[in-house]
Amino acid sequence: MRQFLSFLWLSLLSISVFSSSAAADSDYHEQLNLRPLPFSGLLASFNFRSNTTVSEFEKGNFRFFPRSLGQILQHAGTRELHLRFSLGRWDAETWGASPWDGAREGGTGVELWAWLEADTDKEADHKWLTLTNALSGLFCASLNFIDGTRTTRPVMSFQPEGDHSTVTNMHLLYGVLPHEVVCTENLTPFLKLLPCKGKAGIATLLDGHKLFDASWQSMAIDIRPICPPGGECVLQIEQTIDMVLDIDRSKRPRGNPIPRPPPGHELPCDASKPYHSHDTCFPVDHAANQEWSLSQIFGKPMKGTCPLTDPAVPPVCLQVPDSRSVFVSGGVREKKNPNHISRCFDIPPSTELEMVLPAPDDVTAQSTVPTDIVTPKSPLLYAERSFTGHGQERGGVQTILRNPSPDTAVDFIYMESLPWFMRIYLHTMEARVAGHSANKSSLIQQVYYRPAVDRARATQLEVRMRVPPASTVFLTYDFEKSILRYTEYPPDANRGFDVAAAVITVLNKGQIQGEGESTTKSGGGGGDGGTTKGGRFAAYTLRTTTLLCSLPTPDFSMPYNVIIFTSTAIALAFGGLFNILVRRFVAADEGPEGGLAMVVGRLKGRLLGLLKGVKGR
Amino acid sequence: MSIQQPPDHGATTFESPVSSTGAATVSNGAQSKKQPPPEKPSDVRRRSHIILAFWLIVLCLGLPIWWRTTTIYRADLPVQEMLDWADGKACRPVFPLRISIQANALQEQEAQNLLRLTQHALDDLNDFSGHHLRLQLAPPAATENHDSESVLTIRLVPGDTTTAKFDPHEPMLDITYPPNAIPSPTSSSSSLATYVAGQLRSTFAEEQATISHLLSTNAIPSEHRPQGLSPDVSESLSKRTTRSVKYAPTYHLTFSLFTSGPLPSSWDIDGAINEYMKPVLDVLSPIHNFTIDTQVQLYAAPGVHSQVLNKEDLSSFINAAEWPLSPSIGGAPTINFIVFVGNQTIAAPSQGPGEGDDAPGSASHSWLIPQWGTVYLLSLPDDTTRLSSEALKQPLLTFTSHLLSLTGTPQSGSLPLRLSTLARIRSADLLLRASSTLGSLARLALALPSISIPSRVADGVSKTMHHLRLACETLGGPEGLAHARIAEAEAERAFFEKSMVGQLYFPDEHKIAVYMPLLGPVAVPLVMGLLNELKAWRKRRREAAEQGAGKKKE
Repeated sequence: MRQFLSFLWLSLLSISVFSSSAAADSDYHEQLNLRPLPFSGLLASFNFRSNTTVSEFEKGNFRFFPRSLGQILQHAGTRELHLRFSLGRWDAETWGASPWDGAREGGTGVELWAWLEADTDKEADHKWLTLTNALSGLFCASLNFIDGTRTTRPVMSFQPEGDHSTVTNMHLLYGVLPHEVVCTENLTPFLKLLPCKGKAGIATLLDGHKLFDASWQSMAIDIRPICPPGGECVLQIEQTIDMVLDIDRSKRPRGNPIPRPPPGHELPCDASKPYHSHDTCFPVDHAANQEWSLSQIFGKPMKGTCPLTDPAVPPVCLQVPDSRSVFVSGGVREKKNPNHISRCFDIPPSTELEMVLPAPDDVTAQSTVPTDIVTPKSPLLYAERSFTGHGQERGGVQTILRNPSPDTAVDFIYMESLPWFMRIYLHTMEARVAGHSANKSSLIQQVYYRPAVDRARATQLEVRMRVPPASTVFLTYDFEKSILRYTEYPPDANRGFDVAAAVITVLNKGQIQGEGESTTKSGGGGGDGGTTKGGRFAAYTLRTTTLLCSLPTPDFSMPYNVIIFTSTAIALAFGGLFNILVRRFVAADEGPEGGLAMVVGRLKGRLLGLLKGVKGR
Repeated sequence: MSIQQPPDHGATTFESPVSSTGAATVSNGAQSKKQPPPEKPSDVRRRSHIILAFWLIVLCLGLPIWWRTTTIYRADLPVQEMLDWADGKACRPVFPLRISIQANALQEQEAQNLLRLTQHALDDLNDFSGHHLRLQLAPPAATENHDSESVLTIRLVPGDTTTAKFDPHEPMLDITYPPNAIPSPTSSSSSLATYVAGQLRSTFAEEQATISHLLSTNAIPSEHRPQGLSPDVSESLSKRTTRSVKYAPTYHLTFSLFTSGPLPSSWDIDGAINEYMKPVLDVLSPIHNFTIDTQVQLYAAPGVHSQVLNKEDLSSFINAAEWPLSPSIGGAPTINFIVFVGNQTIAAPSQGPGEGDDAPGSASHSWLIPQWGTVYLLSLPDDTTRLSSEALKQPLLTFTSHLLSLTGTPQSGSLPLRLSTLARIRSADLLLRASSTLGSLARLALALPSISIPSRVADGVSKTMHHLRLACETLGGPEGLAHARIAEAEAERAFFEKSMVGQLYFPDEHKIAVYMPLLGPVAVPLVMGLLNELKAWRKRRREAAEQGAGKKKE
């Protein structure tokens, strides 16, 4: 009977999870997904989603939707908005595919793209300016520095996620600030937008100290209109925070944060080594088998649930194999999902949730493949980008794109928005498969290039490419560094200039072929990617790291040196010329006695006189 | 002519002066050196021409270029005229109010007589020349439709006793009079006339007081100012003017529900606004537009946690750091109305808030924050999840009355009259504000000689003055308000011109550091050359004079 009941529960749960994600009809829900990663990492994905009907939104009645943001959207004519604050690098080699298939990820710094309703480009620019300035005030970020030189209008890389069937005159604008350092002052306004603030529910775990200490974190805000079939259109705001915490680092007590080597008897040793004995120890490489608890990782336990949240959606889910045991505080119900790799927890309101994940029983891990955590899914594409070349005049960019799949090619769009002072030579752009010299033409399928205008517009480069299965492609191009004006250098000019991350959008095969087959959701993200129609435009999105481009920097006392040097030269020339013109030249014995000779002569005479006087005495 | 000699050591010259082998020996033994041959006069003239040419270039070319390239653009401002506006010399605010009397039951003659007597009585009562009530007789044909020119229409209807009653929807005053109250054509006084005058006077007393208070706080010369504002009245008026929000054509109303816990999380604010507040907003619509938005905020902790709020606590009750009460971004000022659900109460009104000037019942729940909005404390049972429209009745009625005082509406009289009074007070206020902004701009331009004044500022000033003049002529009418509004906006724009405010800091030491390396070495030879030349010229003149004297002696 019990088993039957639990089975019923499970099926009910799975139905509710999938139906809620598909229809998005509940007004508010929040969910925290915890997934241990290899090498003692822990991915925590916070997701908050609230809906408001479009009619209520237009009347100005805000309940779950934040009023401060709603006003900005109305004022700037924004139909869809995506804002990202990110820090660090997602280590795809170790951690696998990024959560939400990369749809909620941004490049380091701040990234913003929005669809604005405007009749002309000029009007769109004006609204964009309003939008960036208002958001800058709301999120305490330097978003107002997204000016014309940092704004592009992507052509291929982005597609609206929402339903915009009624609007025809939409403009997509994209701006990025790679230099922006995301910090606590951005988190506080982010939390203020939530209906329960940070006072109840999973948001109580969010703390600036832990969030910005993470190995990687990304805060995302997505606003889009969604029209469910047969229902009223709703405006949906989805706030997402993903972070990868280092368990070792998080477990360090706050009062004593300096890492120290553990004493010998506490070292975890690899007992499989032949020389392992009581006085010889080969330390275990990674500490994935550690025990951790929620309050150790986040600094505090979770305080109840937000009363507004949809009760059908469990607030906390943990993705570990069913074989591991998890201890939770009393009153919390654990429900294992049918896929055997995740479980969710139903928490009664006003109960503190504490969760302890003890170390697995087989501490002496024999195999290299850890069985105690869910193996991360490998991403569709690996990408890394770096500078090549040397010197202060020219440089190059090389992006290495690796397709891990053994049998399917990957189609994607590679987008870069480069600052205007990096002038790229488009003719040098080439893609080659590692190991092969021929077959270049089939790699690059389409290029959209909009050259920069000095001090007015950024370079926009979008390349549609294909990487054959199980191969690595090098995409390279050269560029020239231009010299800035004296006042255009930032205060820390010698640090270099940040170049925004490249956005790589892996295209959805089903979408391309127009067959409309619904894509399989990745099991890792623990939810849908926010789409309502079958088949997203992007199957996967990833971003490279930002680059630091060093430009020739002048000596900043130069203007004064120049002023003084030229003035001295002019003065010398003028003085000589003027004296030649004005002075009269006579023989040396004809001129008036003067200058140094006269002074010396007078001194000598006086000395001689003194000497004579001494002798005479 | 003279040949360069081998370098002669100075000491040898000094020790053996006689050993010099010059051809021309000097006659007087003291001078040991030989003189250079006399200069040709053409050379001397050429040298002075050269020096003159250099100085001419410096003075005629260098100085003007330097002056032109370093000067700061300052547009011409009519400073004196601006100061006149600020001092109230340019415009004397006069509000001619026309009041028509409808007396259909009276004969023309009688009516004229009554009008004359009432006007006399009014003039006797009035002590403020700027605010003038002028009576006129409405043509009997226009019985029903209200004359748009006049501010108030008095309908004289025969009745049993002398009574006065305001029409609630139109600016009309119905006065009934007993039949014997009609003054005879010869009498010089009449009780009815005095009564009507007294009624009018009391009706417009508040407006007069407000306007005269406005004038007195601004620098209007005292001869235009009315006397006899008691300090009591003046204080309450100044309280009221500081409380009211700055005038704007559009106000943004934000209704917020803050709860200390998780409940209630929704409210029927739309229905409540439509039911309780909309009528007043509609009435105010000729003067102001309103946009409305509402929000619900849970888990809101107030700034003060004590159970009973004292007067001091009220000012810090709003938790500005955590409550999302950011003003609207559209440019219209925001008025906040907050319903706070919690169990806190306000301390007894005896020692309590001076702000609570309304009915004592509402004063214990709400208070008004000057120029900002209102807070209403609402205590509810713990399990209320949704606030119904009925539960919001009392808060919204309080908000409505506070909205009227926040917009600066006078408190007495019928609503249509109060609104037309509001329009006049607002236009006077805007006029004075724009004038004082002009004055500040003029004083700023005078006080900072190094500030740049772009031509946009001058444009703004001239536009402001144009509209001020128009507003001054049509004061009291609807177009006066419109002109005053434009004038105020233009004056503000001119005063807060961006390029004027961003004055670059460029210290004098900096200038010296840049100029000295060039000007020093160039100026020294120039000045020395000029001085030497002057010396030589004086010497030549003296010699010429001596020669002339010698010749004369000979």
